[in-house]
Amino acid sequence: MDNKSQHDKTIDRREFFRKSAAASVAALAGTSVMSSDAMADDPAIMHHVPWGQVWGDPVTKNRYGVPSKYEHNVTRRNTKLLASGNFRASIAVTPIQESMGIITPNGLFFSRSHGGVAHVDPNEFRLMIHGLVEKPIVLTLEQLKRYPSVTRTHFIECPANGGQEWRGPQFNSVQFAKGFMSCAEWTGVYVKTILEDLGLKPEAQWMLAEGSDNSEMGRTVPVDKVLDDAMIVWGQNGEALRPEQGYPVRLLLPGWEGNLCVKWLKRLEFSTEPWYCKEETSKYTALQPSGKAIQHFYANEVNSTVTSPSPEIPWTNLKDGDIVEIEGLAWSGMGTITGVDLSFDGGNNYVKANLKGLVLPKSWTRWSYMHTYKKGERLLLTSRAMDDAGYIQPTIDQEVSIMGVESVYHRNAVETWEVTATGEVNHVQMRTPGGIKNA
Amino acid sequence: MLKLNTKLIATASAAAAIAVLTVGCMQNSAEPKGTNTVNGKPTIDGGVIYPVENDKTGPYYVNPQVALDAKKIYNGRVPTANELKAWDKDVMPDGTGLPEGSGSVEEGEEIYEAKCVMCHGDFGSGGGGYPALSKGNGYELQKTLTNNRWHDPEADGPTRVFGSYWPQISTMFWYIKDGMPHPKSKTLSDDETYALTAYMLNINEIEYEGEEIDDEFVLNREKMLKIKMPNENGFIPNIDGPNALDDVRTFYANPTNFGAIKVKASERCMKDCQEKSVVVTRIQGAGISNFLPPMSDVRDLPKEDNKAEVKVDVKEVYNNACAMCHSSYLAPGSDEWKPFLAEGMETVYKKAIDGTEGGMPAKGGADLSDANFKLVVDYIVHGK
Ligand code: HEC
Ligand code: HEC
Repeated sequence: MDNKSQHDKTIDRREFFRKSAAASVAALAGTSVMSSDAMADDPAIMHHVPWGQVWGDPVTKNRYGVPSKYEHNVTRRNTKLLASGNFRASIAVTPIQESMGIITPNGLFFSRSHGGVAHVDPNEFRLMIHGLVEKPIVLTLEQLKRYPSVTRTHFIECPANGGQEWRGPQFNSVQFAKGFMSCAEWTGVYVKTILEDLGLKPEAQWMLAEGSDNSEMGRTVPVDKVLDDAMIVWGQNGEALRPEQGYPVRLLLPGWEGNLCVKWLKRLEFSTEPWYCKEETSKYTALQPSGKAIQHFYANEVNSTVTSPSPEIPWTNLKDGDIVEIEGLAWSGMGTITGVDLSFDGGNNYVKANLKGLVLPKSWTRWSYMHTYKKGERLLLTSRAMDDAGYIQPTIDQEVSIMGVESVYHRNAVETWEVTATGEVNHVQMRTPGGIKNA
Repeated sequence: MLKLNTKLIATASAAAAIAVLTVGCMQNSAEPKGTNTVNGKPTIDGGVIYPVENDKTGPYYVNPQVALDAKKIYNGRVPTANELKAWDKDVMPDGTGLPEGSGSVEEGEEIYEAKCVMCHGDFGSGGGGYPALSKGNGYELQKTLTNNRWHDPEADGPTRVFGSYWPQISTMFWYIKDGMPHPKSKTLSDDETYALTAYMLNINEIEYEGEEIDDEFVLNREKMLKIKMPNENGFIPNIDGPNALDDVRTFYANPTNFGAIKVKASERCMKDCQEKSVVVTRIQGAGISNFLPPMSDVRDLPKEDNKAEVKVDVKEVYNNACAMCHSSYLAPGSDEWKPFLAEGMETVYKKAIDGTEGGMPAKGGADLSDANFKLVVDYIVHGK
C-alpha cells in the first residue's frame, strides 16, 4: 500500500467513526436493524481491499503453514523473574486469554525446561526399560511406534501454576496468573501395554523416568499410575511432538504435575525404593506450616479461571445493555469436570455456569455464562469448579489455612477478576488479611 | 505379568458390579464412570480412574484386541550388559549406583571456582536467576522451615537450600554428575563430583560423625553413606519401604492432608458463602509486569525484526553465556586473543558465530542477533 492511500484511508476511517457515533445515537432511538442513509459507509466494505486485487502467495510458499502475521502478538511470554540468567532453566507461558476451545496449538504450548530445549535426533533415539521387569527392552523410535496407539486429550499443567500468588496477587494478567498449562490431543502407547510384554515383577513399587536432555531430568512415579493411564507419547495435535514438548517422545501422566511427564525420554527403570531426584526434593515439594513438605505431590487439583474478560481482554468497549459471554476454563487432574459456578461478588453468592463442548477426563473444559452488561457496574468475577472425584475448589482462606503460604506448588483456590466501572479488569484476591487466625 | 492382569481385570469387574447396582440413577449407562478405589483401596492420588468397561474407558473407545495381543508384541531387543551400565547411572539414597571414588573439600572449591562460581556466586550465594547452593548453617536454617508468612507478611520466610531442605545427599552427587556444570553437563569425573559434593557439604556446614566438615575433609562412598542431612525427616507422606504405596494412598484419601475440599454437589454453598473478614486484596505496587514480549492483544503488522534494536548489556551476556569457558583461558582482553585477531576481525566474528571444532559453541550458546553477538565478541577480545 502506498503512503497516499494509507493517508486517505485514515481520513476515511476518522470520518466513519465520527458518523457512526452519531449513528449509534440513532440506534438507541430504534433504527438499528435497518440499513440507514444516516450511517457512514464503512470503507472496509466500500473499497477494494488490497489483498483482493493482487495475487496471493503461491500454495507452494509455506510448505509448513504459519499463523497470519497479524497474529504476532499471540505468543508465549517469559518474565526474567521466573528464569535462569540465559533462559535455559526457564518457563514460557501460554496466552490462555487468546486460546479457543480446549486445544492449545503446538507453537503456543506451555514449555518448561531445566537445561534448555534439546534437539534429539530421532535416528539415535533409544528407549530403555529395565529394572524389576522379567525381560528388559531397548526400543528404537520405529519399534516403539509399532505398539498399538491410543489418542487422548489431556492438559499438562505445571504445579507452580499460580504459585507466585500464595501471599497475594502479583500478575495483572491471566496469561501469567494461570497460563502455566496447556491442553492437547496426545497419541502414544499406554506404558501398561508395553509392560504386558515385559512382565512387571510383583515387588516393583516405583518407576524412574529419565530424560536425555542436558539436565537428564528424572522423576519417580508410583506403579499405580503406570498401570492405570500413563502413556509414552510421540503425537501432539496430529503431528510429532514439538522439541519443547520432548520430541521425539515424552512420558504423559494424565492430570499429574507437568514436571512428572518427563520429556526427551530415554529410560524407565522399575524398583522397590524411590529415587529422590532433584525435582522431587529441592523443587516440586510443598512446604506446609508444620515445617513438613509434601513430597510426591501428584495430581493437579480441580481448578478454573475466567479467561474473558481478563486483564488482557477487558470490557472497556462495551456499551450499556450489551450482551456478552463470560467464558472460562475448568480442569482437574483428579477426574472430569462436573460443574462450574460463577460469582459476581467475589465468591459470596454463586450461580451455575454452563459447560460447553466436549467434557473429557483430565482435560480442559470450557464453560460459559451470558451476561447483560450495565455501564458503570463493578463486578468481582470468581469461578469455582467441581469434579467427579468429589472435589470443589477451595476459597483462598480455606486453602491457606491448611497449606500456609510457602508451599509454592499446587495452589488451586478460586481466583477473582475485578471489573471496574470503566470496564478495566484487575486481578484481585478475596481473602482474610493474615488468614483466619484460629484455623 | 500375572499381577498386572489380575489387577486390571479385578478393577474392571468391581466397577462393572457398581455400574449394575447404580444403573437406575445413571443418565447414560453406556458411559463408564470413574471410581475412587482399585481393588477396594483408594486411588494413589485421591482422584478417580476410569476402568475399561464395555470396551470404553471414560468417553474413549478402546480396541479390545490389544489386551489379548499385547503379551506377544516384543518389538525391541534385550539391552547388553554394557548398555545397561552406560545408562543406568542413577544414585539412590541407599548407595545403589554410587560409584567408588573420592575428593576433598579443597579440590571441590578449586573446581567450583573454575566451573560453577560464575553462575552460583561466591560460596554458593546464588543470584541473577541462579539458585543459591548455601545460605549458611544447614542445621540452623532447617529450623526456618516452620516460618510461614501466612499471618505476618513482614516476617522471615523459610530458607530452602541444600543444607536446610534436601533430605538426601545422594541427590546432590547424582545431580552434579548428570546436570552440572549447566552449560556442559556430564563432563565431571566421579572424583571431581565427590570433591564438589564435599564442597557443598562444607559451605552448608554439614557434620560428619559429629564434626563440622572442614577444608581437609575427603569424601568417599563409605563416608557419604553415613551422612544424614538435617531435613531427612522433613517430608510427607512416607515413600520408603514395602508399604510405601499404601502410605501414599492413605495420605491422599484424606483431603485435608493436602489442602483439598470435598463436598456433595447438592450441598455446596451458593448463597452468603463468605466470612465477613474477607476483603478485596490488590496487587502491591506494580506487581510483576516485565513481560517479554510486552503484553498486547493488538492485531497489526509486526515491526521488522527488532532484536537488533535492543542493545545488549555485553558484560551481563559475558557473565551468563561466556564466562564459564572464557574466564581462565581467552578471558576478556587477554593477550591470548592475539593469534586469533591476527586472522582479522571478520574471521573471528564468523568463527564465533558458526562455532569451532576447538570447543567454541555457535554464538557461545547465546540467543542473540548477529549484530548484538558481535558487540559481545568486541568486548571479549578487547576487554572493554
Ligand atoms: C551457566 C550457569 C551455571 C553454571 C556454570 C553452573 N550451574 Fe548449577 N545451576 C544452574 C541453573 C540454571 C540451575 C537450576 C536448574 C533448574 O532449574 O533445574 C542450577 C542448579 C544447580 C543445583 C541445584 C540447586 C538447587 O537447590 O536446586 C546445584 C547443586 C548446582 N547447580 C551445582 C552446580 C555445580 C557444582 C556447578 C559447577 C560444576 C554448577 N552448578 C555450574 C546454572 C549453572
Ligand atoms: C562451552 C565453552 C564456551 C562458551 C560457553 C563460549 N566459548 Fe568462545 N570459545 C571457546 C573455546 C574453547 C574457544 C577456542 C576455540 C578454538 O580454538 O577453536 C573459543 C573461541 C572463541 C572466539 C574466537 C573464535 C575464533 O576462532 O576466532 C570468540 C570470539 C569467542 N570464543 C567468543 C565467545 C563469546 C562472545 C561467548 C559468549 C557469548 C563464548 N565465546 C562462549 C569456548 C566457549
